[in-house]
Amino acid sequence: MKIKVCGMRNPDNIEDISQLDIQFMGHIFYEKSVRNVTQKLPEKNGSHKRIGVFVNAPYEQILETVYFQSLDGVQLHGNEEVALLKKLHSAFPNLILIKTFSITANFNFEETLPYEGFAEYFLFDTHGLHPGGNGITFNWELLDQWQSRTPYILSGGIAMQHTHAIKQLKNKPDVLDINSKFESSAGIKNTALIQQFIQEMKSKYSADEAGFYGEFGGAFVPEMLYPNVQSLKESYKKLIQEPSFQEDYKKLLQDYVGRPTPLYFSKRLSAQYGAKIYLKREDLCHTGAHKINNTIGQILLAQRLGKKRIIAETGAGQHGVATATVCALMGLECVVYMGEIDMARQAPNVARMKMLGATVKPATSGSKTLKDATNEAIRDWIANPTDTFYIIGSVVGPAPYPEMVAEFQSVISEEIKKQLLEQEQRNTPDYVIACVGGGSNAAGAFYHFIEDESVQLIAAEAGGLGADTAHTAATTFRGTVGVIHGSKTLLMQTEDGQITEPYSISAGLDYPGVGPLHAHLFQTKRAKFFSINDDEALAAGLNLCKKDGIIPAIESSHALAVLEKMTFKKEDVVVVNLSGRGDKDLETYINYFGF
Amino acid sequence: MNRIDQKLAQSSNVLSIYFTAGFPNLNDTVPTLINLEKSGVDLIEIGLPFSDPLADGPTIQASSTQALANGMSTQVLFDQLENIRASVQVPLIIMGYINPVLQYGVERFLQACQRIGIDGLILPDLPLEIYTSQYQELFEQYNIHLIQLITPQTSEARINAIDQVSKGFIYMVSTAATTGNTGVFSDEQQEYFKRIAAMNLKNKQLIGFGIHNKETFDCATNYQSGGIIGSDFVRYVSEHGIDHLEKYTKKYR
Repeated sequence: MKIKVCGMRNPDNIEDISQLDIQFMGHIFYEKSVRNVTQKLPEKNGSHKRIGVFVNAPYEQILETVYFQSLDGVQLHGNEEVALLKKLHSAFPNLILIKTFSITANFNFEETLPYEGFAEYFLFDTHGLHPGGNGITFNWELLDQWQSRTPYILSGGIAMQHTHAIKQLKNKPDVLDINSKFESSAGIKNTALIQQFIQEMKSKYSADEAGFYGEFGGAFVPEMLYPNVQSLKESYKKLIQEPSFQEDYKKLLQDYVGRPTPLYFSKRLSAQYGAKIYLKREDLCHTGAHKINNTIGQILLAQRLGKKRIIAETGAGQHGVATATVCALMGLECVVYMGEIDMARQAPNVARMKMLGATVKPATSGSKTLKDATNEAIRDWIANPTDTFYIIGSVVGPAPYPEMVAEFQSVISEEIKKQLLEQEQRNTPDYVIACVGGGSNAAGAFYHFIEDESVQLIAAEAGGLGADTAHTAATTFRGTVGVIHGSKTLLMQTEDGQITEPYSISAGLDYPGVGPLHAHLFQTKRAKFFSINDDEALAAGLNLCKKDGIIPAIESSHALAVLEKMTFKKEDVVVVNLSGRGDKDLETYINYFGF
Repeated sequence: MNRIDQKLAQSSNVLSIYFTAGFPNLNDTVPTLINLEKSGVDLIEIGLPFSDPLADGPTIQASSTQALANGMSTQVLFDQLENIRASVQVPLIIMGYINPVLQYGVERFLQACQRIGIDGLILPDLPLEIYTSQYQELFEQYNIHLIQLITPQTSEARINAIDQVSKGFIYMVSTAATTGNTGVFSDEQQEYFKRIAAMNLKNKQLIGFGIHNKETFDCATNYQSGGIIGSDFVRYVSEHGIDHLEKYTKKYR
């Protein structure tokens, strides 16, 4: 959950609170408030958004204040009409608009309807004597009856003692607005107390400062890579929050990638499995899989960091193609490392990368597959520490990569939420099912549901010829804790700690490790892992061809095969993330089924 | 006193050689150590092979792959080294990657090192922060030095932090590259050597990566306390075997 600290006015206190991991800071421009701001605010220092709070102020006054105080957003805390929001939006298209509603016991949530689509957030505050800042909470159960496309900010008397109750809310806020309960005197916030609150509200499923998810993750990198990894860690969050970044990213996802991808209700799969089965159609993304969500994000980051040269690793070639694609789009040099054996197995993708202008370098060391391609890419990065950006293709590698890639892929679950609301009048499913190699499509499909334990997260690993055989990539079943490619996670290795070569019929799932987030979800039992064998996956893939006219990637077929192993209730809403299309796998399908 | 500290107190042009354990043949480890000491080497780094050595270049990776194929493992190495202190007196360092050490058990690994008489470890993918927060106490308990790396890109503040935590010496990586470069040290690299020397660090420094002849060795010892040779030596033994190592080491003296 994001944090908004409101009622800030003292320059030193503003400076202190700016150092904390908060996303919004609120400044009140309302004469009757004890926290009213009367002077020019100090220059903003920190990545949070600066929000001005107004109560029935005239348009001109708001306009002037936005200019004068360099506000990123405006919170309308009185009885403002929709017309004012429209007017502000046309004057400042990037201005964040927040509309407040005071909640009484018989508040009619339909009052919010006219503001849908015009406010970025609704803020729900306690109805009291004053237009705000009453310091008391309202009955949060009222929120259960409300559902909307607009995310909400919870406000009104939030204190340290509420952390548990907030986590238990069924309808969770996006942002928590804290104010008087964290003050040492009016308008002066207690930095240590807010720090403690942020810490307690942090999810047990998100990475800590050092990039660890529980015991997994971190940055086990040689000193040669430390400056690169560190500067990325320090800059990426700030850079991707910038409005210009978000604008470019969203625009490219929409116009170039083709997002939002449909959430398709499959009637025939639903009939077959006795539940409401939805397919999230990532296979319809440009280049044929979800991989490009991430490469678009990382290339925009590379541009902003002034890097001239892009490197990447690839197994089957999907991430290599997605990287070569965005490099072509941005006119940046692209070098893709690929295992020599994989280059022979995936010749069409090698050709695609070359057509897109990339140089494909064979990894000839070790087992000559994905893990060795990753080693080679890391070596290249060591040798070219200043001009080169390494676009990692999954939620693996040293921190902050797992966190960053998950964030770029989180658009998948963000869309699922909105689409479910339209189609099912609820914004969470009962199950989300995704395949896991390194785990980027699963991370994206799980992302916005991880906190909500009513959503069951299901991961499908590649069992190969069987999780109990030597020919498998079922990392959580067969792996043990170790360090691979800079991250502590579960991986397939010998007793001596030598990393072994996994096997799966799907070239995109045969990675010997798994992202540290997934290792953590497995260990905490937050996600349930299935091992799907080659034949089960191929049968499920063919079933989708016949039932829905969609040829899925063999990776995604592993997720579909989970449906066979589950027992659902008729009303269960199940989302299967269809991560990619199967054109690249035709030869495998042909050889297997003998078409 | 740890043998590394003794050696560095006596000598200002330490010749340090890296070799891969179990290469070219599984049982070459002990004879290589004996022959290196005889040929006048001051300090020896024993490479514990790893399947995915991402800080190493092709020469050392190929030797690691061969050593693993020969049957080398952590336990085999400790078994080979069990009585090494009866015949070899120079300081010994094991250089490897963190994963095999984790699988063996960090404490069990350190115990074995202490029992055998290993003086230090170099684990490039165990960074400063994780070392200090999780393992430093154990290393100190067993009096095993963890040798840390710095590079031309390491900031001054971080060099100081590494110097505070380091014991034995600081391993100065000469260049932004993996192991196995073959050229001369550029003016820029020499500027870096000078800059570090001028910092008057509490730990002495040895330079590694790119030392392969007298010229590069002398250049390194001009500014720092010694040089580390790896790939060039591994290449030599793969061609000439391990019997006459004095023929190799004499090119540095």
